[in-house]
Amino acid sequence: MIKDLLSILPQIIVLLTAMASLIFEMLRKASGSLITLIIGLAGASGLAISRLGTVGTAFSKTFRIDDLSLWAVIILCGTGILSALLMRQELKGTNREGTLYSLVAFSTLGSLLLAGSGDLMFLVLGVLINSLGGFAMAAYPKTDKATEGAIKYFVYGSVTGAVMLFGLTYWVGITGTTFIKDLTGITSQAFVLLIGFGGLITGLGYAASLFPFHFWTPDTFEGAPVSVAAFLSVTPKIGAFFALAQVMKDLPPLLDWNLILGILAVLSMTFGNIVALWQKNMLRLMAYSTVAQAGYFLLGIVAINQSGLALSGLIIFSLAYAAMNIGAFAVIQRTGNNIIYFEGLARKRPFMAVAMLVFLLSLVGIPPLAGFAGKFLLFGSAMDAGYTWLAVAAILNSVISLAVYLRIIFPMFYRKEPIYSFPTSGIITSVFTVCFIVTVLVGILLRFLV
Amino acid sequence: MNTSIPLLSIILFLPLAGAFLVTLFRSSGPKIANLVAVIFSFLSLITAIFLGIEGIGKGFSHIEEVNWIPSLGAAYRLGVDGISYIAVLLTTVLFMSSITFSTKTIGRKSEYMALFLLLETACLGVFMSLDLLLFYVFFEITLVGMYFIIAGWGHGNAKKAALMFFIYTLVGSLALLLALLGLYLNTDPHSFDMRVIIANPPTGWIGMAIFWGLLIAFAIKTPLFPFHSWLPLAHTKAPAAGSAILAGILLKLGAYGFIRFMLQMTPEAFRQYAWVVIIIAVISVIYGALVAMAQTDIKRMVAYTSINHMGYLAFGVAIAALQYDDSGVSALDGASLQIFSHGIVTGLLFLLCGSIQDRATTREMPALKGLLKAYPLLSGFFVLAASASLGLPGLAHFPAEFQIFLGGYAIYPWAVGVMLLGLVITSALYLRAIQGSFMGPMDSSVLKKMQDLNTSELLAFIPLIILIIMVGIFPDTILSFIHETTKAFMP
Repeated sequence: MIKDLLSILPQIIVLLTAMASLIFEMLRKASGSLITLIIGLAGASGLAISRLGTVGTAFSKTFRIDDLSLWAVIILCGTGILSALLMRQELKGTNREGTLYSLVAFSTLGSLLLAGSGDLMFLVLGVLINSLGGFAMAAYPKTDKATEGAIKYFVYGSVTGAVMLFGLTYWVGITGTTFIKDLTGITSQAFVLLIGFGGLITGLGYAASLFPFHFWTPDTFEGAPVSVAAFLSVTPKIGAFFALAQVMKDLPPLLDWNLILGILAVLSMTFGNIVALWQKNMLRLMAYSTVAQAGYFLLGIVAINQSGLALSGLIIFSLAYAAMNIGAFAVIQRTGNNIIYFEGLARKRPFMAVAMLVFLLSLVGIPPLAGFAGKFLLFGSAMDAGYTWLAVAAILNSVISLAVYLRIIFPMFYRKEPIYSFPTSGIITSVFTVCFIVTVLVGILLRFLV
Repeated sequence: MNTSIPLLSIILFLPLAGAFLVTLFRSSGPKIANLVAVIFSFLSLITAIFLGIEGIGKGFSHIEEVNWIPSLGAAYRLGVDGISYIAVLLTTVLFMSSITFSTKTIGRKSEYMALFLLLETACLGVFMSLDLLLFYVFFEITLVGMYFIIAGWGHGNAKKAALMFFIYTLVGSLALLLALLGLYLNTDPHSFDMRVIIANPPTGWIGMAIFWGLLIAFAIKTPLFPFHSWLPLAHTKAPAAGSAILAGILLKLGAYGFIRFMLQMTPEAFRQYAWVVIIIAVISVIYGALVAMAQTDIKRMVAYTSINHMGYLAFGVAIAALQYDDSGVSALDGASLQIFSHGIVTGLLFLLCGSIQDRATTREMPALKGLLKAYPLLSGFFVLAASASLGLPGLAHFPAEFQIFLGGYAIYPWAVGVMLLGLVITSALYLRAIQGSFMGPMDSSVLKKMQDLNTSELLAFIPLIILIIMVGIFPDTILSFIHETTKAFMP
C-alpha cells in the first residue's frame, strides 16, 4: 500500500495541490491559491523528471507507471502552471478567482489519471474529472457566450461520456474484469470488442477534439476566457491520447483497429485544416487547428505496437504541442482574438511577432522547431509500421496548414503601419518566452529526450 | 589533410553570427547592418577559399561529427567532396555579391541583411550536411528565409508569389521528407548517415519508391518541366538580389540533390528510369528556351532560361546514371560544373536586371532602347553575361555544356541533337534582347536616372565577371575539384 502510494506520488501531489489551493480560495486569498498551484505542480513535475525511466504498476495493476504517465506529469503540470499564469493576467481580481487555480489542478489530475490508465474505470474517471473542471472554467466569466460554450461542452461531454460508459461495459462483460490488460486474452467476439472500441473512441475523441467529436471546440474556445481556451486545447487532449495509447497496447488485433484510427486521423487533419482556412476569429481558427493537430497524434497511436519511434514521437509531439499552443494562445490573449489585430504586429512588438512566427511555423512542422521534431518521429513511426499512406496524408495536410498559418504570418510582418497598440504585460511576455525557448530547443536537444 | 580547426563549421556559422550581430545592432542604422553583412559574408568566402587550398580529395573530407540524437542515429555531420565544395564556393561568392549589391538599394536594412545571412547559412548547411536529417532541416530553412525575402521586399503583388513559392516547394520538400524517412528505415541498423546509405543503397521496389519521391522533390526545386510553374512568378516579384540567390543557389539545391541523392543513393532505380529524366530534361531545355523567347519582360526571360539550363544539367546527371564509364564521368563533370557556371552567370544577370530596374521605369524590352549609350558599363556587363548564358566558348557555360553533350552523345545522340536546338534558340533570344534593348538610339523617356554603375554595384559584379571569364578560359581551376570526385563515383 505504501509502495503504491509512493509510486503515484506525483499524482497525489497534484491532488493535494488542488485541495490546498481551494482552501486558500476559501480564505479569499487568490494569490496564495496561485502560488500553491505553481509550487505544487512544479514539485510534481520535478518528481516525475527524477523518476523518468521507471516502469511499473500501482494498486494491483490498475495504474501504470511508465514513460507515458511520467511524461504526462511533466508536460501537463507545466501546461497547468503556464495557463494559470495566463488566467491570472486575464482574470485578476474577479470574484472567486482562486477557484480557477484549484480547477486547473483538478482538471490536470483527470488527465494524469487518463495517461496512466491500466483499468477501464480510470478511463471513465479521468474523462469525468478532467471535463468537470473544464465546464466550470469555460463558464467562469458568466457572459452569454461563455455560458453557451460551457453548456455545449457539458452536453457533448454528457452524451459522449454515456456512450463511452455503455461501450466499455461490453468489454467488462467479455473479460469479466475491468483491467485493460485482460483484453489481450480475448480471441473471438470481434464485434463486441468493436462496440467497446466505438464507445472508447467517442469518449476520448470528445476530450481530444478529434473529428467528428469536436463540435464543442470552436464555440467553447470562443466563449471561454483565452487563457482557459489555452488550457482546454492542451490538457484534455494529451490525457486522452495517452490513455488511448495505453489501451491500444493491449487491444487484441481481431479487427484492423489501426485502419479505423488511420481514417479518423486523415479526416480530423483534413477537416480541421480546411475549415481553419476560413476563420477570422483567432480562437475559432486555433480551435480548428487543434482538431487538425489531433489527427497527427493518432499517427503515433496507430504505430504504437509496430514501431519503436511511435512512443517517443507521441511524447515529443505532446511536449511540442503544449509549448507551441500555449505560446500562441498567450500571444492571442495579448493581441485580441480577431485576425486583423495581427496586422503590423512586427513593427510594434518585434519579439512577440517573432515568437508567434515560431509557434505557427512549429505547428506547420518546419525544422528545426519542436513541432517538426515531433511530426518527424510520428511520420517515421507511421512509415515504419507500414502506414505510408497515412504519412503521405499527414504530409499533404502540413501543406494546407501552412496556408492556414501564413494568413496570420504575412500581415504580422508586412503591413506597413500597425493599427492597434497593445500594452505590455510581464506575465504574458514571460509565458510566451518560456514557450518560445521550449519550442526552439526541443528539436536541438532531442538527444536528451528520446 | 584534415586539420583540427573545424573549417566547415566556421564557414557555416559565420553568416549566422553576422545575422545575430545585425539583429543586435539593428537600432544603429543601415550603415552598420551593411558593414557587418558584407564583412561576414566576405569572411565566409575567404574561409571557403582557404578550405580549397588545403585540399578536398575525392571522397568526403574535413568531416566533423557531433552526436545529436544517438538513439536515432542522427548527428551533426558535416563534410565536403569536390562537388559539394564547388557548391559551397558558389554560395559564398554569390551571397557576397548579392549582399554588396543590396547595400545601396533596399529598405529595412537590418532585417533584410539578417535574413540574407540566415539564408546563406541554410544554403551552406544543405551542401555540407552528411546527415539526412540535418540536410532536411537546412533545406526547409531555405524555404522560410526565401519566403520572407520575396514577401517582404518583392515588387507588386509579392504576397501571392511568395505564397505560391512556399506552398509549391513545401510540397516538394515534404515528398523529400518521405523519401528520406524511407532511406532511413531501410538502412540496417537505421542511420541518417549519408556515407552509410551511399555505401549500401536501397534496391528493389523500395529503392524505386524512394527514387520517385526524390525525383518529385528535386524536379520541383530545380525546376524541371512540368514542375516549374512557381518559378517565373517568384522571380518576377522577388527583389533583384533575392532572384539572384533563388536562381543561383536555391535551384542548385535541387541539382545537388540529383547528384548526391538520386545518383548516389538510388543508383539502381535511376539507371532504370534514366529515360524518364532524360525526356523531361529534353522537354525542359526546349520548353524553357521557347517560352523565354516569348517573354517581353527581361527578368522573366532570364528566369525561363534557367529552366533551359537546368535541363542540360539534369540530362548530364541522367547520362552519368546510365553510363559507368568515361562518357558518364564527362557528363557528370559537365553537370557539376554547370552548377557553378549557371550560379555565377544567372546570378549576375539577375543582379543586372535589378540595376536596370533601378534606372528605368519598366522592364519591358520593347520599351527599353539604347541602354548601351545610356549605361555603357552596365550594358557591357549584361552583354558579357548574356553571351556566357547562351554558351559562347571562352565563357563559363561553354565547358560545362560541352562536356554534357560530349558525354551524352555516346548514348543518346538524338537527345543531344534536340538539345542543340535549345542552344540555338537561347542564342537567338539573347541576341534579340541585346539588339533590341541595348543597341540602337536611346529613348530617355523610360529612364529615371542617367548614372552608370555605382561603387557597390561594381564591387558586386566584378568578382562574378572575373569568375565567368576564368571558368571559361581555365575551366580546370574548378573542374579539378569535381573530376577527382566524379572519377571515384564510377566503379
